[in-house]
Amino acid sequence: MKDDFKLSDLPKRNIYEVPEKYFDRLPAQIMERTAGAGYSPAPWYAAAWKPLRLALAPLMLVLVLGVLYFANLNNKADQQNVNLAGIQDEDILNYLSTYAVLESSDFAELQTVSDREMTSEFLNVSSKAAEEELEYYQLDTIDY
Amino acid sequence: MEDKEILEKFANPDSRNVAFNQLVRKYQQKIYWHIRKMVIDHDDADDLTQEVFIKVWKNLENFRQDAQLYTWLYRIATNECLTFLSSKRKKFFLPINDVAAELTEKIDSSPNIDGDEIQLKLQKALLKLPDKQRLVFNMKYYDELKYEEMSEILGTSVGALKASYHHAVKKIEEFIKRD
Repeated sequence: MKDDFKLSDLPKRNIYEVPEKYFDRLPAQIMERTAGAGYSPAPWYAAAWKPLRLALAPLMLVLVLGVLYFANLNNKADQQNVNLAGIQDEDILNYLSTYAVLESSDFAELQTVSDREMTSEFLNVSSKAAEEELEYYQLDTIDY
Repeated sequence: MEDKEILEKFANPDSRNVAFNQLVRKYQQKIYWHIRKMVIDHDDADDLTQEVFIKVWKNLENFRQDAQLYTWLYRIATNECLTFLSSKRKKFFLPINDVAAELTEKIDSSPNIDGDEIQLKLQKALLKLPDKQRLVFNMKYYDELKYEEMSEILGTSVGALKASYHHAVKKIEEFIKRD
């Protein structure tokens, strides 16, 4: 076969053949078979379904978005309730002392607290432990 | 008769048979040749063509007119062909190459095939392609369908179809040059 063969150079031809008058007989054979085949009638809603589909699509979209919006609102409210109700005071204090960023209002509150006598109960620490801690950080030598 | 008219008549029980007869007469050759090029053997093509039209008869009332009638028919015929070839392999535990060899043998021996050497070589080269690529080639080369129509029938993107056809042509040319 020549090396420069291109399919486009080949004339298109159907090499397959059918028996004589095959296409004259085929419709009758098929019609004969359809007589016993039955057919599936369209359901009663089929005619209305296409226009209904077009109308329902935007409606469904609005409905889904609405449901998502309200579900989201409820979730947020629930989440706040859970946060406030379920957490121990001690945990809140620990969190605040570790992570909270102090603001000027906090310092103002600190001032009111500092005017009061701080009991060991308020500090939640024994006097021995407090002394050891001060010694460790050498806080007693720092000038403020 | 226009497709729309056929479908309207088919919806009426009094003219259903007449309408379906018109539909068969209008599309029988396109469907038969589409199938025949895939299964090669006339008797198999005849069985499958009849099966396709029986399925059409059973489901035409539910046909949604979003698609063209002939693309719907092509899709049914295409599925029948692929199922037939696949079940042939499963039935006899044959690998792809053995089915291709069996079909190639039919090209050489069937009384209903008449072509010169190069045309026979083209058909044998086609049998080397995977079934779906062979479908794409037949639909583009012989049936001269647009890629958009093929996309609707085969459920594949136009880009993928173009690539598949391009590769099919290259493979066929290589096969014929080599042989």
